[in-house]
Amino acid sequence: MNREHKQGGNETGKVAPQVPWLEWVASGVGLLLVLGVFGVIGWQLFNGATVPPVITVEVENVALVEGGHRVLFRARNRAGEAAAQVEIEGTVSTAGSDPETSRVVLDYIPGHSEQEGGLFFRRDPRSGALTLRATGFANP
Amino acid sequence: MPVTSERYAIGLARAFGGAIIFGIPLLMTMEMWSLGFSMGRGRLLLLMVFTLAVLVGLSYFSGFEKTFSLKEDAMDAFAAFGVGVITSAVLLVVLAVITFDMTWSEIVGRVALQSVPASIGAMLGRKQLGDEQDMDAEEERKREAGYGGELFLMVAGALFLAFNMAPTEEMILIAFQMTPWHVLALGVLSILLLHVFVYSIGFSGQESRPEGGTFLTTFLHFTLAGYGVALLVSFYVLWSFGRTDGVSVAEIANMLVVLGFPASLGAATARLVV
Repeated sequence: MNREHKQGGNETGKVAPQVPWLEWVASGVGLLLVLGVFGVIGWQLFNGATVPPVITVEVENVALVEGGHRVLFRARNRAGEAAAQVEIEGTVSTAGSDPETSRVVLDYIPGHSEQEGGLFFRRDPRSGALTLRATGFANP
Repeated sequence: MPVTSERYAIGLARAFGGAIIFGIPLLMTMEMWSLGFSMGRGRLLLLMVFTLAVLVGLSYFSGFEKTFSLKEDAMDAFAAFGVGVITSAVLLVVLAVITFDMTWSEIVGRVALQSVPASIGAMLGRKQLGDEQDMDAEEERKREAGYGGELFLMVAGALFLAFNMAPTEEMILIAFQMTPWHVLALGVLSILLLHVFVYSIGFSGQESRPEGGTFLTTFLHFTLAGYGVALLVSFYVLWSFGRTDGVSVAEIANMLVVLGFPASLGAATARLVV
């Protein structure tokens, strides 16, 4: 980025300033990054970046831990727009008793991205029907 | 003295230094991470284009050559942008803000947004962290550029400082907390400081009052114009971050004055920094 007058040969003093090779490399890399970054952002513009969030939740793993059962899940935003404060609610319902519900709020799920989280239950989720779903979100 | 690649490398190293120093406050600001993927793509793209234009202008003013060559300034701007992107990417990875299980659009969005302050820092770093520069040529440029140049420098300074504050929730919270009296007082204070910083307290590189200018003409031409620039830049930055969407005009006005405070300080000191 450093540039000064290069007076070319001493005898002429009027030769056009010569650009050092490193300057070409640095500006070239910069130009490539500009094109790359602009390209990715521009591509998103025309590929559903403005579709409101659609969130699905999948159970990843259920384990017995100290104090109860832990359910790890993966919440996936299938649309382009980011969702904020996504509430994930999990319910374990066993026949003959009230369902047990646990909730967690995920700060953000960017478009076409996923976030992982976990819920704790006192009851063993495998003993009954476990359902996980996103109950709502806010626009960031 | 010829520009060799070694000398250019030193300049490049300074640019990286500037990118880190000027970029670090926002690299460690939570809101910036989520804005990277949640702000409107069109607005992000526009912001990047605007940043590149500002970089070209900054290169012109802090450049070493007297002859104006758009090619050279564009090359400088691209190099600064590249330095900004690389610095942001590396630091965001180290800070675990970017992990490799993220989607590309999320990663690029985060890096792109952070590269705005980092690339401006890269451009300024060359000057602020360097020692050998032709102050005379630079002063001459600023003189030649005239009023338009003054306005451009104010835009660049306002953009940089406003950009550092605008992503945070605090801007909105402060605007909510303030009564109209507070807002008016802050507006008056901003204008006062803008005037004093530029014309009165003798910072290095301070402007002398334009020849034949009375207090009133200077005030109208530079101070009020500068505050106008600060408010416009504030609005642009807030709009980019989606802070103005669906907000009432009165509340937007409050936010503008709140963000206009740092923006006007940026506008006032840009001439000293650049």
